[in-house]
Amino acid sequence: MTRGPGRAGRVLLGALGLIGFGVLLEVAPRLGLVPAAYAPPTSRIAGALADQTRRPEFWEALADTLRTWLTGLAVAVAAGLVVGVVVGAVPLLRAATASTIEFLRPIPSVALIPLAVLLYGSGVRATLLLVVYASFWQVLVQVLHGVADVDPVARDTARSYRLGRLARIRFLVWPTALPYAVTGVRLAASVALVLAITGELVIGTPGLGKEIAIAQTSNAVPAMYALVVVTGLLGVTANVATRAAERRVLAWHPAIRAEVPA
Amino acid sequence: MRRRFSVLLAVALLAAGCGSDEPSTSTPGQPDKISAGVIAIVDVAPIYLGKQKGFFSQRNIDLTLSTSQGGAAIVPGVVSGQFQIGFSNMTSLLLGASKGLPIKIVSNGVASTGAAGKDYSGVVVKADSPVRTAADLAGRRVSVNTLQNIGDTTVRASVRKAGGDPKAVKFVELAFPDMPAALQAGRVDAIWVVEPFLSAATTAGGRVVASNYVDTAPDLTVAAYFTSKQLATSNPDLVKRFTEAMAQSLSYAEAHPDEVRQVLGTYTQISPEVAAKLTLPKWPAEINRQSVQTLADLAVGDGLIEKAPDINALLP
Repeated sequence: MTRGPGRAGRVLLGALGLIGFGVLLEVAPRLGLVPAAYAPPTSRIAGALADQTRRPEFWEALADTLRTWLTGLAVAVAAGLVVGVVVGAVPLLRAATASTIEFLRPIPSVALIPLAVLLYGSGVRATLLLVVYASFWQVLVQVLHGVADVDPVARDTARSYRLGRLARIRFLVWPTALPYAVTGVRLAASVALVLAITGELVIGTPGLGKEIAIAQTSNAVPAMYALVVVTGLLGVTANVATRAAERRVLAWHPAIRAEVPA
Repeated sequence: MRRRFSVLLAVALLAAGCGSDEPSTSTPGQPDKISAGVIAIVDVAPIYLGKQKGFFSQRNIDLTLSTSQGGAAIVPGVVSGQFQIGFSNMTSLLLGASKGLPIKIVSNGVASTGAAGKDYSGVVVKADSPVRTAADLAGRRVSVNTLQNIGDTTVRASVRKAGGDPKAVKFVELAFPDMPAALQAGRVDAIWVVEPFLSAATTAGGRVVASNYVDTAPDLTVAAYFTSKQLATSNPDLVKRFTEAMAQSLSYAEAHPDEVRQVLGTYTQISPEVAAKLTLPKWPAEINRQSVQTLADLAVGDGLIEKAPDINALLP
């Protein structure tokens, strides 16, 4: 491991990066490098964002997006964990499903939009289908790897001590798979957000994505970018939150312990 | 693309026979619920205004408006029963009817102003473009939001009327929001836009060379509200009350342009400054049947459909 800047230093550098990006977006249209009508400077986007926060529709859309995102994520995580542990623990099942999973996993969720609309119209369930489909695989594949990663010596030891099936899952499989599962949840959280916004944008289910589409058809360019910024901020928040949860859940894990200076 | 896919989808829905949610039948003592699928554009301002003014609730209709992305995306929603009422442009409805979709128009939607150069729709070129009239569009790249729909057929009508060769126009599919930038960058020679993009394009220095809706037919009926044939036969009373409320909404909108400009802010993100200046369409209560016939003839002539649908069966 290389010795990087400390925690405070990382936050500072991250903030500097964001500010630098903001300044670039402010300067480029003002210098005429990009047309300001289609790529407004940061200050105008910030103004539009302030306008948005005064609209009740904005807060409704934000709540809708959060609801779709978290519901989809919860379903995907629960299903991924259960299916992952069951399939991972039974070698026969694992061998039988491996090729099917590898076939289904790379199918882009967006390609399922026609199916989703056919099944559920333009309601929220159509977008949920996309969200669950995309994020389920992230969790499942990680859990499968985690379950397969059980240390052979530990497994033999557990067998020597005649641990039952449940005890083995609790004391052997679960601690081994947990770091993988948590990584899966973190990946799934951002994928689920992307798909929630995409579904709203393309299918038209209520949420920030739909507000972006309305801003587009209203030729409200700064408002559209303001909403895009909000989705970006949501993504950052999701990442920070899942990382914090990761540190808490895996406080005992060597990879996390090493991050804490002695 | 999306619209064409939606028509396919509508056909698929029909083929699968999965009209999932049955339209709500009247419950005594309760207002009838109508869920209407519309697009968040200027055209549908009257229905929002009418809802605000209580024209629907006073006829015992509990109206819910949901916005979808495209006019033809609403057609499958109405056919499957997700919406009881939908808003779509007339060419999409004619295409749907010719494919055998069970749809029935119940009210006028929106019409052209009928004044050349002062319509809410137009073909715009750059200020320094060599294109002077619609006839000069022959051989040029013109963008429309959906190929094989109301945009290209009406632009061809403009070119034909001006004495140009309509077959020589090269149509390019672009979304309305992307068109002004594409014109400025020279990726297309002309763009067909409606408000609010029309005033945005002319404010940016663009020049209107054709008012395609005006050139197509006098007082062209551009779009309409429709329902499924199923609801039209199972609950004619509800449909009749909707039509009456809609007629009142259209007339009210026509008479109160300032309130229309205000209601825009409630369902679009069009800024008050833009809303104050944009050209509003006309909202007559009656459908111009002759203009619908013209659109059907154009659709057949341009090869969008092989045979015109029975217009009297489609129209109320």
